[in-house]
Amino acid sequence: MATVNIQNIQKNYGAVKVIHGIDIDIADGEFVALVGPSGCGKSTLLRMIAGLEEVTGGAIRIGPREVSHLPARDRDIAMVFQNYALYPHMTVADNMGFALKLKKADPAEIRTKVQRAAGILGLEKLLDRYPRQLSGGQRQRVAMGRAIVRDPQVFLFDEPLSNLDAKLRVQMRGEIKTMHQRIGTTTIYVTHDQVEAMTMADKIVVLHDGHIEQIGAPLELYDRPSNLFVAGFIGSPAMNFIDGRIEEGAFRTKKGLILPLPQGVAAAGGRDLVYGVRPEHIRAATHGIEGRATLVEGTGSEIYAKLDARGEEIACLFRERLDVRFGDTVSIDIDPARIHLFDKQTGLRL
Amino acid sequence: MASVSIDNPIDETTERRSKPARLAPNYWPFVMPALLVVSAVIVFPWLFTLWMSVNSWTLGQPRTFIGFANYLRLAQDMRFWESLWHTTTYTVLSVVLPLFFGTLAALVFDAKFPLRGFLRGIFVMPMMATPVAVALVWTMMFHPQLGVLNYLLSLVGIGPQEWIYNQTAVIPSLVLVETWQWTPLVMLIVLGGLAAVPREPYESAEIDGATAWQKFRYLTVPMIAPFLMIAVIIRSIDAIKSFDIIYAMTQGGPGTASETINIYLYNTAFAYYDIGYGSAMAVVFFLIIIALSFVLLMVRARANWSDMEER
Amino acid sequence: MTRPLITHRTLDRIGLLFVALVMISPVILFFLWMISLSLKYEIDNGAYPPIIIPENIAWSNYVKVFEENNFLLYFWNSVLVTGTATLLALVIGVPAGFGIARLKAEKSAVVIMIARMTPGLSFLIPLFLLFQWTNLIGTLWPQIIIHLVVTVPIVVWIMIGYFETTPKELEEAASIDGATTWQVFRLVALPIAKPGIVVSFILALIFSWNNFVFGIVLANRETRTLPVAVYNMLSFEQVSWGPLAAAALIVTLPVLLLTMFAQKQIVAGLTAGAVKGG
Repeated sequence: MATVNIQNIQKNYGAVKVIHGIDIDIADGEFVALVGPSGCGKSTLLRMIAGLEEVTGGAIRIGPREVSHLPARDRDIAMVFQNYALYPHMTVADNMGFALKLKKADPAEIRTKVQRAAGILGLEKLLDRYPRQLSGGQRQRVAMGRAIVRDPQVFLFDEPLSNLDAKLRVQMRGEIKTMHQRIGTTTIYVTHDQVEAMTMADKIVVLHDGHIEQIGAPLELYDRPSNLFVAGFIGSPAMNFIDGRIEEGAFRTKKGLILPLPQGVAAAGGRDLVYGVRPEHIRAATHGIEGRATLVEGTGSEIYAKLDARGEEIACLFRERLDVRFGDTVSIDIDPARIHLFDKQTGLRL
Repeated sequence: MASVSIDNPIDETTERRSKPARLAPNYWPFVMPALLVVSAVIVFPWLFTLWMSVNSWTLGQPRTFIGFANYLRLAQDMRFWESLWHTTTYTVLSVVLPLFFGTLAALVFDAKFPLRGFLRGIFVMPMMATPVAVALVWTMMFHPQLGVLNYLLSLVGIGPQEWIYNQTAVIPSLVLVETWQWTPLVMLIVLGGLAAVPREPYESAEIDGATAWQKFRYLTVPMIAPFLMIAVIIRSIDAIKSFDIIYAMTQGGPGTASETINIYLYNTAFAYYDIGYGSAMAVVFFLIIIALSFVLLMVRARANWSDMEER
Repeated sequence: MTRPLITHRTLDRIGLLFVALVMISPVILFFLWMISLSLKYEIDNGAYPPIIIPENIAWSNYVKVFEENNFLLYFWNSVLVTGTATLLALVIGVPAGFGIARLKAEKSAVVIMIARMTPGLSFLIPLFLLFQWTNLIGTLWPQIIIHLVVTVPIVVWIMIGYFETTPKELEEAASIDGATTWQVFRLVALPIAKPGIVVSFILALIFSWNNFVFGIVLANRETRTLPVAVYNMLSFEQVSWGPLAAAALIVTLPVLLLTMFAQKQIVAGLTAGAVKGG
């Protein structure tokens, strides 16, 4: 186990800059999620940490060691790939013990370690099978087992759940988290799915176009997104963004919709702003802002509705079972303490 | 180690330049042995042939540099032009006929019927059989008096033929053997093409009311066109170089009636030991093949409906 | 409702089977006639109308081939030349296929394509001279070396195709697991490419075994391979059909047996090689 320290890492492919100087500090035993839309550079960053991709500039340290230019095999890391990358010609046990075999470890020791990892993951009965005989979830577990057996300094995960169906994904999410809690190895986890990042990580790094948008604990990102990108990326369904200005102590859109503000923000008056409110922070009320329902989707546990309020579209998530139909007029109330204001120009939180 | 400052960009670049791309695995050691062998047995002969082609050199006699005289001699050599004509006829026929029968066979073997795998296995055997052995047995079958082919013809009322022993029949007879041997290759290539053809267009054509012929004409043919082109290219290159069958059956005879460039080249270099002239011929022959392949590749580029060839 | 459909389909299938039988009839007739010729005495072979199954089977034709023509030596020569050339080609060609695929240097494979387009004779002239100068003529080495012209391109070509399709993640996983590049090749890439190695092995074997043109130039009485030996029987002896057909059958039988047993691999290899070979 070790800390990971990433300093001013850059990556160019020819003239194309993919990563523009990134700094991340990861504490010993921490579970860090790198999250962002596809093409944001998160996989490239992970592959540079793994040693599969050369860094163009900057330094990577694992523990006290600088590893920026070490080949992958000398970095003492383990990685779980998106498509698992199990060796098709080896049994589950051989797959898991491969790294130790390369280190010329004692066969008996390999067997014990493989057994122990198989125990953690419930793979005891599958040790003699070949990867092709396993289901998707089992392959996923073997890939994790291969990482565990190594007992490396750092675990790297590259979108490990994206090949699984929705139900299995939720289950494996739990298993990875449990595994991390049991073993406590420093983990870097790449995903494009913010729900995965939110549920599993101690710390989330939001990447966008090769830049870090924000680093923070999941709830910090949810409660205080530092810019429009993070605000829109974290949280599902996505936050409502409404353009307007502060005038006379209230937020007013061009079309004349007035939205409530918390105390003490009047200072931001006079420039273009974006008003952000999460759908789940909007409540139905007997009177308040009125809007016509243009979309109503009920899942049983909640109702997702889009309202047209004076030409502004507002998405709401109601926990109570309202009788709302398409075209109905609904009154809503926004909790001013839970709204976010951003500068329209810079995109930064006020 | 940890105390070394790496914030200085100048440090980084100099360090990187001194040890470039250390992470990328070094694959050159894997390629080197083959590279050596290929240069020794493939590239060296090319260069050596080029050099010899500008020399007058008969084995056992001194060598003299004569520039392009060998090439000029070739341009005036009637026997060469004749052999070029033989090569052309032989190649065209040996492409067209296997292409026709091979496509037909592929369409049959693409369908499902009992014993398909077994019969396809038998069908493929000619192309694997040793050409010399094949040529030998065909020679016996072509025998004007005792050959089984004339007997078979007599059964359907056709008089005896002279086959490879006749000036005009010899090339078609050789093409018959070539077709017999290489139709399976075309079949395999087209079969591969048919396997790559998606099912959905057929289903939608069926719904649109297409007849079996229309489906073949408007769906199958355009979709296997790239594979037909591949078959044409491979067949052309192989047919133009054909040696074993011709040499073993006729050695270019009777007279020089079946002497292709390849046979003439062999005779020049290894019967008359006229190494310089033979080398010039080899160079010209090689250029003809390259030109042919180039033209065919250009045609193919237009026949492609998918990008399966491109990486 | 369903019954007529089934009969219709059955009819279709029987029809196709019939068409297929017609199509392979030239193949079957040829090989039957080859066997028939090889098992008949001279009188039966010269009979008109031809006899297909003779009353007296002439096994002696086969005995004659071996007794009178040094055929065991030539068979052994063929085994040595083909075997060595194929094994050498695997030893250098399989790693090369791996390296080229990973270096993404497919363009370098153009050399191999051009080698396939070059007439064998244009390799022969310079190498023939080279072997004369180096005094290798009279040994099997000239033939082994020149057969590499046939076997190496086949192996490299097929292996490039195989290594390109094996997922790169496996090799990355292995390097993270601590494998050196050589170990990645040896322990991961190679075992996965086993089917490709088998295919290229079989094809190289067949095309090397069948090769004729190199032998007629480079071989002498002691170093002949089988195809050359058979050809020489045709030209030098008072042609006697029975032993000649027997000899032809002996030459090609190993290849035909291999074709039958490894049909699937051969078809796969030829199709892949052909499709890429364009």
